[in-house]
Amino acid sequence: MSNPLADMDKPDVIFCIGTNMTETHPVAATRLKQAQAKGAILIVADPRHIPLARRADIHLPLRVGSDVALLGAMAHVIAERGLMDESFIAERTEGWDSVREHLKSFTPEWAEGITGVPAALIEQAAVLYAQADRGAIYYTLGITEHISGVDNVQSLSNLALMTGNLGREGTGINPMRGQNNIQGAGDCGALPGNYPGFQPVTDPAMQAKFEEAWGTKVDLEPGMTKVRALEHAGEKIFAMLICGENTLISDPDYDHCERALGRLDHLVVVDIFKTETAELADVVLPASAWAETDGVFTNTERRPQRVRAAVPAQGQARPDWWILAEISKRLGSDQFEYNSAAEVFNELCSLSPLYAGLDWDRIDAGRYQWPVPEADHPGTPMLHVGEFPRGKGLFKTPAYRDPAEVVNEDYPVWLTTGRRLEHYHTRTMSGRSTGTEYLLNEETLEVHPADVQAWGLEHGGMARMSSPRGSVLVRVASDDTSPPGTVFCSFSFSEVPINKLTGSGYDPITDTAELKVCPVRVEPVSG
Amino acid sequence: MPASPTDEQLIKRWQDEPAPVLPLLHAFNERDGHISREGLEAISAGLRIPLANLHGSVTFYHHISGEPESRDRPRVCMGPICRLNGSEQLLHDLEGAEPMACAGRCDDPIPVLQADRALVGLSGDKLQQAPSPLPPLNPGGLEECCLASVREPDRATCSGYMRTGGYAALAKAREMEPEEILQVLEDSGLAGRGGAGFPTATKWRAVRDAQGGPKTLVCNADEGEPGCFKDRVLLDHDPHAILEGMAIAGLATGAARGFIYLRYEYPQTLAILERALEEAKEHLDGFEFCVRRGAGAYICGEETSLLNSLEGEHPFPRNRPPFPVTHGFEQTPTVVNNVETLASVAPILARGAEWYAGLGLGEHRGTKLISLSGDVLRPGNYEVPMGFPLKTLLFDWAGVPEGRKVQAVTMAGLSGGFLGAADLDVTLDEACLRAKGSFLGAGGIMVFDDRRDMFEIARQSMEFFASEACGKCFPCRIGTERLTERLSEPSGALAPEAWTEEVRAIGYTMIELSACGLGKSAPLITESLLRLFPEEVSAKLEAR
Amino acid sequence: MSLDLTLDGQVVPFQEGETLYEVASRHGDKIPTLCYDKRLDPLGACRLCVVEVEGANGPLASCTTPARAGMAVRTVTEDLERHRKTLVDLVLSENPKGAEIDPLRGLASQELAQLSVRYGSDGTRFAGATSGHSRFDDPNPMILRDYDNCISCYRCVRVCAEQEGDYAISITGRGFGTQISAEFDVDLEDSDCTFCGQCIQTCPTGALGDLRALQHADLPEPITATRSICPYCGVGCSLDLLTKGETLVGVQPAMDGPANEGALCIKGQFAWEWVQHPDRLTEPLVRKDGELVPATWEEALDRAAAGFAQAGAEHGRRSVYAVASGRAPHESAYSVQKFIRVNFGTNQIDNCSRA
Repeated sequence: MSNPLADMDKPDVIFCIGTNMTETHPVAATRLKQAQAKGAILIVADPRHIPLARRADIHLPLRVGSDVALLGAMAHVIAERGLMDESFIAERTEGWDSVREHLKSFTPEWAEGITGVPAALIEQAAVLYAQADRGAIYYTLGITEHISGVDNVQSLSNLALMTGNLGREGTGINPMRGQNNIQGAGDCGALPGNYPGFQPVTDPAMQAKFEEAWGTKVDLEPGMTKVRALEHAGEKIFAMLICGENTLISDPDYDHCERALGRLDHLVVVDIFKTETAELADVVLPASAWAETDGVFTNTERRPQRVRAAVPAQGQARPDWWILAEISKRLGSDQFEYNSAAEVFNELCSLSPLYAGLDWDRIDAGRYQWPVPEADHPGTPMLHVGEFPRGKGLFKTPAYRDPAEVVNEDYPVWLTTGRRLEHYHTRTMSGRSTGTEYLLNEETLEVHPADVQAWGLEHGGMARMSSPRGSVLVRVASDDTSPPGTVFCSFSFSEVPINKLTGSGYDPITDTAELKVCPVRVEPVSG
Repeated sequence: MPASPTDEQLIKRWQDEPAPVLPLLHAFNERDGHISREGLEAISAGLRIPLANLHGSVTFYHHISGEPESRDRPRVCMGPICRLNGSEQLLHDLEGAEPMACAGRCDDPIPVLQADRALVGLSGDKLQQAPSPLPPLNPGGLEECCLASVREPDRATCSGYMRTGGYAALAKAREMEPEEILQVLEDSGLAGRGGAGFPTATKWRAVRDAQGGPKTLVCNADEGEPGCFKDRVLLDHDPHAILEGMAIAGLATGAARGFIYLRYEYPQTLAILERALEEAKEHLDGFEFCVRRGAGAYICGEETSLLNSLEGEHPFPRNRPPFPVTHGFEQTPTVVNNVETLASVAPILARGAEWYAGLGLGEHRGTKLISLSGDVLRPGNYEVPMGFPLKTLLFDWAGVPEGRKVQAVTMAGLSGGFLGAADLDVTLDEACLRAKGSFLGAGGIMVFDDRRDMFEIARQSMEFFASEACGKCFPCRIGTERLTERLSEPSGALAPEAWTEEVRAIGYTMIELSACGLGKSAPLITESLLRLFPEEVSAKLEAR
Repeated sequence: MSLDLTLDGQVVPFQEGETLYEVASRHGDKIPTLCYDKRLDPLGACRLCVVEVEGANGPLASCTTPARAGMAVRTVTEDLERHRKTLVDLVLSENPKGAEIDPLRGLASQELAQLSVRYGSDGTRFAGATSGHSRFDDPNPMILRDYDNCISCYRCVRVCAEQEGDYAISITGRGFGTQISAEFDVDLEDSDCTFCGQCIQTCPTGALGDLRALQHADLPEPITATRSICPYCGVGCSLDLLTKGETLVGVQPAMDGPANEGALCIKGQFAWEWVQHPDRLTEPLVRKDGELVPATWEEALDRAAAGFAQAGAEHGRRSVYAVASGRAPHESAYSVQKFIRVNFGTNQIDNCSRA
């Protein structure tokens, strides 16, 4: 997030797109609701009539995967009406002239044809956002899990740059990170292109720095993304360590994923439960869990915070860092001589400029947001104040592209996937907790009542849903949250492995899967 | 018969009106005979009000309910005076009847409310619709202010009102600067006649000077105090005087919109007001006034509860500061005036501040309407000069039954507690009455002669306060309940001394700590009972 | 400009816009209250926080009275304490069980019990009818609805509306008969309730209680609280892990949590029982004859290392790949990337953020 969570009750216009925040980030959403109670205007762009959309002043029900068209049209309206922040554009950005030219064809009428959102509504939303004193954008995976994920983010960035809604309280572009420490995993350098602190592996200086620190040699070329690694399993990749991820259920294209893991010579899984993925492993190593482990999580606003052990680990479970150290020792390394989580974290701080001013003790109360470049630095709750990391903010000119697959005669329905309030990801945790499991213990396919009737389905009856990659059986729930022609399902239940269907395409730059769009066929199943 | 309106039609009719919640609830109640679950869901969706809140508010009010056919059930007045007239028997005799708190017709009992019909009669077979009684002619021949023209024929119609000088003051006010109007009001000494006695000009000036807008007028016609029926006579027989007063208030404060918040129990008044508004359109040019009907809650006579009710919020009183003059209806600067106050405005403007001030006795200024009822020969509304001797009103004007002695009278309806026979030598003004531990309030006086069981009257009174307590503040919510229990038969095995200690302790804390007037004044009942009737109390307790 | 008022004889500074309660809370002893939660708009319901202000007509509720320069305020007088005792006696008279409440019920659950000790109240003075109608029939396994202990402070209703924006519950009826309920008295799961548990945690009497925690009420050990962070989404809510001995017995939100300031959601509040669930992996497993079977750590680690070494030797160092977790702490992710970079000299590492 460019701005802190504490800012979320401060905007006067809130633009949420591709975020089912009341279900996926409920505590953050409370702040938006408070802002709304204080008079803020809420604009929600989402294909579904999600709870946040029901609260919205304006709901833009765009067709799945049409974000670039919608956002481009909003930018078009702002440009045509001259609602830009001219001085911000002049002082802090570059590329305005070309983006202005680029936007000319993005008329609201054109966008209406693609997105299905009435042009007048697009105009209204654009004007409200542009005229806000403090306009803030929030998004989640509904923006990034597309083949156009990068284009979507750049389109949002254009909106914020042209209206000067960055670097000030109650503004910003704010991705809500989905997992407790997904930000931290990146911070720690668990990326094919970056060392800890997002230092590029392709930079020889960085290579030298880490080679010296670790007394080893490291490639100057980036590694593969996980998506590519699975694709090349059995060809280029032969051994894999998977730590704390139920890849089989959470990743797109289940069958492809299962075949890929099956092609490996050696699969080691470190986890707390015997997940569907662990069942495929050669070695399964029991990790100590949350509440049993000391460590650090960094949240979506870049705030490293300490987690603490309160109970002993179950059985022989051990911390991940100990497990990795023990394997490394057996591979002959002397670089893993740790006695505590604190030692691991402090080594990270010594190597990451973002954490340079932090150590285990200083983050005790979670008071800092990175970057914290030196020890007496107060932290950086807000990014882009006065300057962007690259200096000037750069406008981009993303073009609209159709999703990797579009509805057709054989697969005439849009499937979009996501999460539900009660459960988390593949339910390894929330499915083993009485309360959450009580409220929701079966996945259903959300189908608009009109479609239920038109497709010969029954509320509570079973349906077969198929894509070119597979099919699943799922119980039907008649619900007007999804619009006609679009159905929704979460991937939380292994009984309904919805990712047998997904996997139509990937963003060409990030390799992020298009999990939000998948044309399917839905048919009633008797009995 | 025309088809009954659909949910959508009703919501469409009201959703863009100001203060739409109460009228929509009433519209659904009227259509369905109760507030159905589906209806409430439709209102919740249509007005975007959380369903739980809407449901909570419905359960708060006496006269709307989710129970099928509840609207048409007869409601029988259980006010102290109506009980003296046999309302408990009437309640028993009428099929499906339910009790209702004092319905403001103590001068002509017993009121029975059934749907939109206000009936009156001493027994089931005599119930009929009848207009509110006119006030008796002023027995002392004293000059009146707001009752002066009320007995004129057709005064309630616009033409009748015009014939007797109506809307001349408004025309005059339109030629005046706001400050001139305020000065006249200030010089007249007019103060809030609903009971609080706050100088009217000061309140208006605060609204005129307040930041923000649009500014709002509210006429508080939620006359719920037992033993008070003075607003009713003004509303029924002189409605244009109130509209004229509101318009003048609007000129003085800069408020162009106004509400009359009318208690549910006055359905015929609603019709009269709506007709008056229709007829007066041309005179009220520039103002948007409308009537909003309450739904049965004494607490809504408290101005901030009233505002919450009007807004469709749960009708708890608000904390002050901020005050309504800066943060009233929907947080806009708002004048809330009592009916009687507003009815006094046009005569004051027409005849001058000096004239009005001079109506009072001694240092007191102006007049006060007193609703007198109970054990008197001629109950009714009397307009007396401020500072008027109670005894004159009681014995010379209204008269007490032959051979009977006045045992006690209530003050401020029930809120001022009892004055005993020894206390009757008072004048009707706040200074004198407060010295006796009571107050004049809205001006309801109920008279009880030596036939009456004052302990029982006190029990009924406390039961009323307990059933009207809103539930917001602890001392009142629990205190009114505990005091009612202690005045009731099975009040536990308390010895008289312990009983007295508890009643005094609860009362003391209620008076000092309660958040609004209800809790602060309810214990005056027990305080005055203990002070005036110690032997009766002891006898009652010992008999238990 | 500095503003001062006199508080129990001491001149103390305050900020424009503060209430007397806020000023007094920073100085001197705590003024008793039952309806106050600093996150909520003050309601002024319980009246326990009354103070005497010179020149005022009777005691004023400090939570709703703005501080003004030059005020002379007294927070403790014989009269105020007498009123407070009467109030606590009145409250306990309709909630006699409130003097003894299991602290597992919720974060604020001891507030009334503490006042009952402070004012020597046991519920016998002012004895009479009770008002709460418990909803033990509500089948949800998370929120205990023991309204016998409800004192109508409306903190639950207010936190649900003002903090959560859910408006799932409201005030029904009036006066002594007031109840807390969802629309039409439906069970919570049929209402707009999201089971965030905030109502439980602000309840000052334990009328609302954490049923997941209360299953461990009978464990004899004392409760220990350990500060941690929620393991679910990226918001990073601070919470306290409640333990009795070696058993995790509950979670309570941290009011001083920088990201959440006391808020949690259903998962953070209630979905923690998986930690000590019997399904947990408790020993290493290795595949033998096609089956995963238990092994010692030595054996499993040797086998894990050997497989990586073999792949590296047969297919080159770039044939070994690792996926770090976005769920595990930094020390895990850092170790996983270092494992690849140090042992194989490649960047064949990713985390689970792309799917």
